[in-house]
Parts: sequence; C-alpha cells; structure tokens
Amino acid sequence: MKKIILSIAVLTTLLAACNNSSSDKKEKNTDTIQPATMPVDTTKQIAVNTGTKSTVSITDILSSYLKMKNAFSKDNDKDAATAGNELVKLFTNFNKTALTANQAKIYDDITDDAKEHAEHIGSNGGNIKHQREHFDMLSKDIYQLVKTFGGGQKLYYDHCPMYNDGKGANWISETKDIANPYLGKSMPTCGTVKEELK
Amino acid sequence: MTLKRKILLGLVTGFVAIQFIQPAHNKSDKMLPTDIINVVTVPNQVLNLLKNSCYDCHSNNTLYSWYSFVQPGAWWMASHIRKGKGNLNFSDFGTYSNRKQQSKLQAIANSINDNTMPLGSYILLHKNARLSAENKEVLLDWVKATKDNLSQKNELQ
Repeated sequence: MKKIILSIAVLTTLLAACNNSSSDKKEKNTDTIQPATMPVDTTKQIAVNTGTKSTVSITDILSSYLKMKNAFSKDNDKDAATAGNELVKLFTNFNKTALTANQAKIYDDITDDAKEHAEHIGSNGGNIKHQREHFDMLSKDIYQLVKTFGGGQKLYYDHCPMYNDGKGANWISETKDIANPYLGKSMPTCGTVKEELK
Repeated sequence: MTLKRKILLGLVTGFVAIQFIQPAHNKSDKMLPTDIINVVTVPNQVLNLLKNSCYDCHSNNTLYSWYSFVQPGAWWMASHIRKGKGNLNFSDFGTYSNRKQQSKLQAIANSINDNTMPLGSYILLHKNARLSAENKEVLLDWVKATKDNLSQKNELQ
C-alpha cells in the first residue's frame, strides 16, 4: 500500500518539476534597422573563411532557400521541411567575421525573423498551407538578404498575383522560367518576373 | 484490502497529492512599455477582442478560471501559455524588430483566416472567445492598417 502511494507521489513530483521550468523566451531588444539601400557585394569575402570553423555563406543560405522553393513548386511538403531545418542551422552558423558591424546588425535583423519562418516550415511537414504562409514571409527576408549582400548568381524576383486571395506574393528563383511555389502543380506557370537581381 | 481498492486508493491519493503542486501563475500587474498598446495604435474594440480571445496565452496576464486550479489541467494550461508566449507575446511586442512586428501581424491574420486560432480546445472551454465573422473583420482590418503603418515607418527611417 505504502509503496503505491509513495511511487505516485514521486511520479507527480517529477512531473511537476518538469513542468515548472519556466522558460519564457525573452527576445533581445533589437532596434529597428533600416536595410542598406545600396547592395554591397560581400559574397566573395564572406565565402573566404579565415580560421573559424564556420564556412556558411549567403550562397549556402540561398541554395537551401532555392531547394525549398523548388520543393513547394512540386507540392512537396516533406522536402520543404527538410530545407527549412537546414536553413535554421545555416542562419545560426553563418560566418559573420567578414561583415562590418553595421552589416552584421542588418544580418541579425533579417535572420532573427527569417529563422522563425524557417523553423515553422521545418516543423509543419504535412501542413503545406501553413508552410507556404511562412514561405511568403521568408521570401521577403531572403530578398532583403540578397539585396544587401548579393546572391553571387543571377536571380529573378518573381510575383504571383493570385496567392492569398489575390493579395499576391513574391519569391526568388534561379531560373527565368516560372515554377510557382505558392500554387504548385495546380498552376505551375502562373506568375511574372518582377525584377532581375544582379 | 483487495488489490482493486488499493489501486483506487492510490489513484485518489495521487490525485489529491498533485493538487498541491501548482505551476506558477502567468500574472503581472506591471504594464510594460513594450506592451502592444504602447507601441502601435490599438482601438478599444480591438483591444477587447485581443484580451478576450488571445491574451490568456499570448500576454503576461492570464485570466484563470476554476479548472485551471485543478491538476493536471493547470500543467496542461501552463504548457500552452509557455508555447503561446514563445510564439507571440503582446506584452513584449515592443521588443520585436519592426520586421518581426510585421511578420507577427501577418501571422495573426493568417491564423484568423485559417481558423487555427483561437485553438479549438480553448474555445471549448471559453465559449465567448470564439471570434464571429464580424470580430474577424475588425481584427483583420486593424492588422492590415497597423502593418501598412509599420512598413511605412520602416521606409521613413
């Protein structure tokens, strides 16, 4: 009898202990930073690594983003999630040593937001609708990133007028041909090139 | 005592015992300068909707009802609040960057449109937290206006 009571008491105490660890994520106060108006090409400098372990460059980030974009255009939520998780790691491990203090600030401002979108896309395999909502916001961040730091390759900023009940959405592509990541296979060629980058 | 009675007694004792282990309450009297009402314009109508349907899990102030004192309900609730505040905390809105504030507002609009928020389980227990079509429109209009304002602010800086 005593054993039963004791074991239940121990169990509940353990449960409570697990639950009480309050972990309110206090976000660091980040001042609003205005993105630099002039694109600065630092891709090459960033890619060249000096000493530190991290070799993640904007090109790597871009390549994961494009992988995600291509997964969405094929309605593939699983591959999009994989790319999302990959992006989270890349944002964190990005090598900032080649950046000036101001550039680093801009990078942090953009990726602080972008990381959350990548996380949501990564953890929402099976819910492609929700993933695409975050892809919409992530694409804006990536666009800013490319505009600020350069993408190291020819890119296209595409526009889909139909997504989001006609409000529209944009994405970045490595090909001139349209492969719509928001509407996928139902409307693969819907969209136009809005801007050529680099 | 038969085995059945022993188990029953054990369960009852366990249930009583866990009532004494209450998670810390999400309550604060302090109005932070980072609270959303100090950062952007929030009309009363909108504020009431936010308080009624969102604040229990997305602010530093939860209105606790009777079941939230009964274990294991309180733990379940505490975990929801922790997760909710991690994703969006209206009391901390001012700590987000302009970019993030816009993202959060977009996410609010998305979850209203998709009917993913307020959570179904929450509405089940808080009938008046359900947003009517009219309520949704009020919130969506406010989200749009606020977002446009923030994006303008960002360009002016």
